[in-house]
Amino acid sequence: MAAKPTKSSGQKDNFTRNLVIGMVALVVGVGVIFSVTGNQTKVSSKIPTIASEAEGYGLVFNPSAMPVIDIWEDFQCPVCRSFESVVGSYLSQLVKENKAKVIYHPLSFIGPESVRAANAAACAAEESKFDEFHTLLYKTQSTTENSGLWSNDNLVGLGATIGLTSDSFKKCVNDGGFLGWVNNIAADGAKKNVNSTPTVFVNGKEIDRNTQYMDLNGFTAALVAAGLK
Amino acid sequence: MSDFSIKGLQPWLTLISRLILGGVLLAAGLLKVTHPAKSAMAVRAYEVLPVTFANFLGYALPWIEVGIALLLILGVAVKPAALSGGLLMFLFIVAIAQAWARGLTIDCGCFGGGGQVAKGETKYLEEILRDTGLVLLALYLMKFPRGKFSLDR
Repeated sequence: MAAKPTKSSGQKDNFTRNLVIGMVALVVGVGVIFSVTGNQTKVSSKIPTIASEAEGYGLVFNPSAMPVIDIWEDFQCPVCRSFESVVGSYLSQLVKENKAKVIYHPLSFIGPESVRAANAAACAAEESKFDEFHTLLYKTQSTTENSGLWSNDNLVGLGATIGLTSDSFKKCVNDGGFLGWVNNIAADGAKKNVNSTPTVFVNGKEIDRNTQYMDLNGFTAALVAAGLK
Repeated sequence: MSDFSIKGLQPWLTLISRLILGGVLLAAGLLKVTHPAKSAMAVRAYEVLPVTFANFLGYALPWIEVGIALLLILGVAVKPAALSGGLLMFLFIVAIAQAWARGLTIDCGCFGGGGQVAKGETKYLEEILRDTGLVLLALYLMKFPRGKFSLDR
């Protein structure tokens, strides 16, 4: 008889212990499934008109021109801002003059404001103002990440300064019309092993990080070598 | 309570070890679960695993860290939890050491962050020393899993 209470209290402890193990396993299992499935491309996501699934959901300018320039960037990344200040206007010119096929892939690994900025950039692309909005984002980039500067309200306000005043733009920014697409871009970047921003591919090959990113002559040379006329 | 011998100290040392190893794993996990894309990038930057598997690990690892941390802090299944935590730390040491040896310039991505950094900004030695300390705690816990405030009997 004396042994019985000890045994039953032992069972009770084991019950608590097993319950905790079960709960922890559940949290981990659900978390892993959530993270893995949440970071896959979803073909059902709404994508901008100029985005192409075949190009990893990137925003494609001059689809039939050569060479092909893929730009992976995060609007909150300071090095991307420097890159923009070196080659930004040159790239805009190439796009305008139909001299290269330029594909923008806005990544969002720095956090929620990168996600919102990428969504807003896609909204601007729908109104044919991607290039202007792109320039504006880098001009107004905050020195601290996720500072609150790129709230949806402020992004709408930024758009207004370059004439993006339509209700469709406001709605697109506020409703996160292209958030699924932003996720698809991120998932595609993960698949393509893009590990830093900016990352630039010319005709599918990464250009030299030491000499061709932050120097306009080096950048141009890479394009000329790839067939730029 | 007045037992100040080594034997009396052990359950407290076990508790402290559990809280340190568990606390570090909890912080590391929680800082990363909310940034899965960044976590996956940090794993890819080690350039060891095939991209698909590296991405999977980047998404899964933060949750696994949280799980091991909860077990250690609550004192449940301390021995297997310490083994898993110690094994993870050992693998991190191997991964960081190979990145160092190959001349990659990356942040370990242990507490979020990760990916490529400038040449002078790597912290390989301190990352390895920290993880070595945590491996030692895990070994201690495997030898003395019974401690204070534990649900394990």
